[in-house]
Amino acid sequence: MYYLFPFFKWCDNTWIAQTIRGSKYIFPVVEAIHLLGLTVLLGVMVIMSLRLFGFILRHESTRDVATDLRPYAWTSIGTMLVTGYLLFASEALKCYDSPSFRFKMVCLILALVFQFTVYHKATTSDKADSSPGFARITAILALVLWFGVGLGGRAIGFL
Amino acid sequence: MSLLEICQWLQDTQFGTSLRESIWMFPIVEGTHVMALSLSVGTLLWMDLRLTGTFMKTQPMSKVSSSVLPWTLAGFAIMTITGLLLFWCQAVKAYNSIFFKMKVAMLFLAALNAIAYHSTIYLRMDEWDKAIPPPRRARWAGWCSIVLWIGIIICGRTMAYNF
Repeated sequence: MYYLFPFFKWCDNTWIAQTIRGSKYIFPVVEAIHLLGLTVLLGVMVIMSLRLFGFILRHESTRDVATDLRPYAWTSIGTMLVTGYLLFASEALKCYDSPSFRFKMVCLILALVFQFTVYHKATTSDKADSSPGFARITAILALVLWFGVGLGGRAIGFL
Repeated sequence: MSLLEICQWLQDTQFGTSLRESIWMFPIVEGTHVMALSLSVGTLLWMDLRLTGTFMKTQPMSKVSSSVLPWTLAGFAIMTITGLLLFWCQAVKAYNSIFFKMKVAMLFLAALNAIAYHSTIYLRMDEWDKAIPPPRRARWAGWCSIVLWIGIIICGRTMAYNF
């Protein structure tokens, strides 16, 4: 992955990264917002997965539950990407060497691709309600990928 | 013994010391505490938003409540266990942190809010089960809960810093 190093170095040198590093307060504030975003996003994924499994809200279609949750899903994903980039930029060189960060990025890319393809199909059509097997596999993959992102993120602080 | 001495004794116990200095256990407990946010506050949020009358308006309150609450309680059980373990192994740091004190104060208020809700308007839910907007007290309970939990999460995260 050495060919990505100049990109990490460039991020580390940007004005915004230097501003965050130079302040005592910006990083903790951005980090707190990132954590609130995590609560909402993983909260959406938990509720949607429970619905896809048929554990809760069975009298409402998967599509209707997803429609109610969608604004919260998009807002929290947007918040996570913006605050996540700011946190990353302020310590981009540390992240370059972090196995946890690499794991997180792989999970994140897979999670986003999954979200826009299979998950999107499962929650905007009636396929999930007519095919419980498909619904369950979608739920499991969504949970594994998004919790992988979360755990990888928490682990950046440890390894 | 003063409160500080009790905290010191607690984190100096063999269990507290080994948890604090462990390579894997501490990150696992802390990681679990963070990830369980999804199950605790992450599911409570939807019940609170339904209480405020801004979410899942087509669903009766009782349905949302009974669907979500068991998962929320499971989440809070995990939060309580991992939270107590984290306190056990760094009690003095928590004692000295203004953010920890704020967190505990807000946890106390959130518990009072839940007790107030469950002992009053919750008992008359059949009267307002499908009402949009829900009665004022229900909306207040929902907003208070959301604001308090945002504060609790922020203070919990900020405990890691000494300003």
